[in-house]
Amino acid sequence: MNLEYSGTENIPASKDAVWSFITDPANIAACMPDVLESTVVDPRTFDAVVQVAVGPVRGKFKFHVVLDPQPGGDRLNMKIGGGGFGSVVDLTAGADIRSESDGSTTLDWKGSASMRGPVATVGGRVIDAQAKRVISTTFANVKARLSPAAAAKPA
Amino acid sequence: MGHSMKRKEDPRFIRGHGRYLDDFTLPGMVWMSLVHSPYPHARIVKIDKTAALAVPGVIAVLTGEDLAAHNLAWVPTFHGYDKQMVLAVGKVLYQYQEVAGVIASSREIAQDAAELVDVEYEPLDPVTNPFQSREDKIILRDDRENKTNHIYHWEVGKREETDAALAASDVTIKERIVFQRCHPAPLEPCGILADMNPATGRLTLWLTSQAPHAHRTVVSLVTGIPEDKIHIISPDIGGGFGNKVPVYPGYVVSAAASVVLGIPVKWVETRTENLTTTGFARDYHMDVEIGATKDGRVTALKVATAADHGAFDAAADPTKYPAGLFGIVTGSYDFPTAFTELDAYFTNKAPGGVAYRCSFRVTEASFAIERGMELLARKLNMDPSELRLKNFVKKEQFPYPSPLGFVYDSGDYHMTLRKALDMIGYDDLRKEQAEKRERGELMGIGISTFTEAVGAGPSKHFDIMGIKMFDSAEIRVHPTGSAILRAGTKSQGQGHETTWAQIAAEELGLDPQNIMVEEGDTDTAPYGLGTYASRSTPVAGAAIAMASRKIREKARKIAAHLLEAAVDDVEWANYKFQVKGQPDNALTMQQIAFAAYTNPAPDSEPGLEATFYYDPPNLTFPYGAYIAVVDVDRETGAVKVRRFLAIDDCGTVINPMVVEGQIHGGLTEGFAIAFMQEIAYDEQGNNLNTNFTDYLVPTSLETPHWETSSTCTPSPHHPIGAKGVGESPNVGSPAAFVNAVMDALSPLGVTHIDMPLTREKVWRACRQATTA
Repeated sequence: MNLEYSGTENIPASKDAVWSFITDPANIAACMPDVLESTVVDPRTFDAVVQVAVGPVRGKFKFHVVLDPQPGGDRLNMKIGGGGFGSVVDLTAGADIRSESDGSTTLDWKGSASMRGPVATVGGRVIDAQAKRVISTTFANVKARLSPAAAAKPA
Repeated sequence: MGHSMKRKEDPRFIRGHGRYLDDFTLPGMVWMSLVHSPYPHARIVKIDKTAALAVPGVIAVLTGEDLAAHNLAWVPTFHGYDKQMVLAVGKVLYQYQEVAGVIASSREIAQDAAELVDVEYEPLDPVTNPFQSREDKIILRDDRENKTNHIYHWEVGKREETDAALAASDVTIKERIVFQRCHPAPLEPCGILADMNPATGRLTLWLTSQAPHAHRTVVSLVTGIPEDKIHIISPDIGGGFGNKVPVYPGYVVSAAASVVLGIPVKWVETRTENLTTTGFARDYHMDVEIGATKDGRVTALKVATAADHGAFDAAADPTKYPAGLFGIVTGSYDFPTAFTELDAYFTNKAPGGVAYRCSFRVTEASFAIERGMELLARKLNMDPSELRLKNFVKKEQFPYPSPLGFVYDSGDYHMTLRKALDMIGYDDLRKEQAEKRERGELMGIGISTFTEAVGAGPSKHFDIMGIKMFDSAEIRVHPTGSAILRAGTKSQGQGHETTWAQIAAEELGLDPQNIMVEEGDTDTAPYGLGTYASRSTPVAGAAIAMASRKIREKARKIAAHLLEAAVDDVEWANYKFQVKGQPDNALTMQQIAFAAYTNPAPDSEPGLEATFYYDPPNLTFPYGAYIAVVDVDRETGAVKVRRFLAIDDCGTVINPMVVEGQIHGGLTEGFAIAFMQEIAYDEQGNNLNTNFTDYLVPTSLETPHWETSSTCTPSPHHPIGAKGVGESPNVGSPAAFVNAVMDALSPLGVTHIDMPLTREKVWRACRQATTA
């Protein structure tokens, strides 16, 4: 089963701040929902154990996430591979990043996921709902972490 | 015989005292769990057992390379033309293929550790249907010399003559009719308990086996273990339907582990494993052409099939019949000429092609011809019952040589269909349908008048791995007149403990309650090829009758001795031996049995027992006339099966109640296939129907009410005239359901929808027709 998603997100922070944030594996891991454990392997890679509940497919999936920032700081590619309980999920995503005149930053992003095994049998609509939840939660967390209010908080 | 005696086995089952494979445990027993591939087609880069082996309780992790060291990485498929991987070596060829086996001290530890076996794959593009496969752009089997996905071409009949007859026909129909991939899905999945006893060197296998003797021979041939050192016990079986005929990787891995470790190893598959890896059925894509005169007389039949066999050619067919008995595709009709050909292909799907409640592809053939006749009736604007009556093989034509090589034994198709039309009130239903159509309501009537070829089979034609497809019975009459009957078959719910006893009781004049039937133990039962393809009654049932008659012959000599009469003067009448014409001077079989042990005839051996191996002279040809009546809701696509009448003719009936039970079960399966069930794969090779939430089994809520009746034209060559019936309802009913729905949709111009006729498909067809 293949699924494709795309969207545009505006983050109320400067491009440099956004770039610096999203190219740090620890930050991405912290913003993804349902992450039980995460281990930063190197400055571009982390492993995560994620609690998955898609229809009857429930359990811990292991994912290996590789960030691939492109030279110039305008684009970030990402590969996620992993799975569990006989299921395999492969996801590739990319975001074009640009500054807005109001100082905020916009991400035009696109991703495609390929699923095999029990998770692929659950049905597109169930997976679709879960995927959208993961995407929206992740971006919400990124925004929250980068918002002026959050930035104002002492570390 | 002929009485609805209650099934002797049922008190055991309904009280929960059946003993199934999973009920058996042995001291020191460990468990095996399999690791499956999530990819349909991929190279195996690396298998890391480390994490699994570190789990406390894990004893071993086996891979294909481990098995290769014992020459067990591959095993031959049943008909011997191909081989299949036990555990994947080099690459995987279908999703859920077995990649490793974990042996552990408990089922739970084995399953948990299986999750920790780390397999690195390099995904390859998959091939998911036979039409993609035949392009040979992606070659699936590296191991085969011929670098093609094409497995074999098979044909029978007269191609040129058929083409010419079709070209000369007034009317022709042509339709691609797909019998979807479905699965027998027995409620009890497959399993094994393997016990190699190091002290005796004997391997005992408790196995969910429909053919224990054949499995023993296969195990011996594959492993080199002498057959006397292999003991297979097939305990109570919770449904087989062809699914428990093949040899599966779980069996081989468990047995190999037990041999190597010297301890008992058990494996019971999960529902998902059953649906995704064990023998599927059908997946035939059939191009059906029929020619006819304008007044509705058929002139020719041509069927060209693309068969999807999955990753290995593991279809369980007799050696000389790669496409099974598909040649029965001319059905009940007197075609002057016919031709059929089939090409089989590998795909990245689970292997199989088992005879799911079907005598080797007879179901596919019956569906093709019965749908084809319905399409022809529509094209001719002729009532489908009239078309059938016009083209049936006539009673006086039997034995009937079909254009595709069978010789049908007996039948009276006109009588059976007329009975069905009368019983269901066909003319009134057509009037009601016409009135409903006036109101825009969708009501349909579907007919299926199928003929099967069952009872494989005569040794001159039928074998599996070289073993002729005879079957056997051994009967021992005890001194007090009770008996034990052993057969080479294996009941999986068919009721052999009752019906076998009834045959012997009829032949011997004994009480069937006092005839114990035993099957499934290779140490005690005579060699037989097992139970599938509706072969038990035609073959083993005949063997029981013949063994009984051997006993009766010996008993006649004992009776002559006791009656002080010449043997020729003693006759069998009213279940007793008597001096001819002297019913008062008679002896019962019980009396003779006692004498056989206490006062044997001077010139004969003591005891009263016989064994018979029956080699049938021909197949048997049961048939039926089924009529379905449906209402279709065009707004929702819901189909309501309002009535379903099944008239079956299986020759002599041993136990009407058991037959009725078989018909009810088979119709329910046919209903499920027609409306609910499909093992579907997406373009990436994902199996989309891996459990009972996605692969539906009808409950009593969905199942229609079945009306049944029978006619009887005995088989002239079977000792008791029986033909076999277990598969008829599954063979005959799908076409009746589909024909009924297509009849209902005919006002909308819909002519064909492939099964399963889900609400969505029917709704889309209605919507498309309406908007067009």
